[in-house]
Amino acid sequence: MADPGEAKPLELSRYCVPFTPFAGRLEDASICIVSTAGIRTRDDKPFDTEGDTTWRVIPAEAEAKDLRYDDSHYDHGCVDRDMNCVFPIDRVRELAAEGRVGGLTARHFSLGYSQALRELRATTIPALVREIDRERPGAVLLTGG
Amino acid sequence: MQRSIEMIGISTVVVTVEPEETRQARPPRALAPRGFVAGHTLGRPGDATLQKRILMDALGLLLGPARPGEVIEQSFD
Repeated sequence: MADPGEAKPLELSRYCVPFTPFAGRLEDASICIVSTAGIRTRDDKPFDTEGDTTWRVIPAEAEAKDLRYDDSHYDHGCVDRDMNCVFPIDRVRELAAEGRVGGLTARHFSLGYSQALRELRATTIPALVREIDRERPGAVLLTGG
Repeated sequence: MQRSIEMIGISTVVVTVEPEETRQARPPRALAPRGFVAGHTLGRPGDATLQKRILMDALGLLLGPARPGEVIEQSFD
């Protein structure tokens, strides 16, 4: 008799590390920045700093000085003067201009602060990862707060 | 999130200021600038040279040997 447990789909163990080898050259790769620092464009809806499972889109041409953050969990001494400290969009654009990376994807993304881990895992992250995939990035650069 | 992105076939690297926490999440590739704190992931405000150095070292992990699950701690003094 079959073990009833056999019907359950296998899940990735936390001990297993998913790993996609990087193919090609950095000089050809378009970089997508994904942050959890609560970054948004000036005119976009602010994050709820007490907990927010939505994300914001930041266009490739956005300049760091025109971005805002909504956060009450990390030190703001750096971002108050230079948003590149957590969301280095000017720097990646410079690296692209210098030919050291291929370019930037059209859209970049930021989440805000959230402890709703179940919702993040079940809903938010799968939906956000699908959006990231639509950008066809050569590589994704992740930054926290 | 990093693991989910790798699972659909996209290479990733994270720059983290919380190496212990990140290590527990078993990251595909991670760089931890030593001594930096949350909010200062890329170092000092306005220091474009340092910020780009950190970025290139992080992106450089894409080209190096696979060290899945490890967090590479590095000083940027």
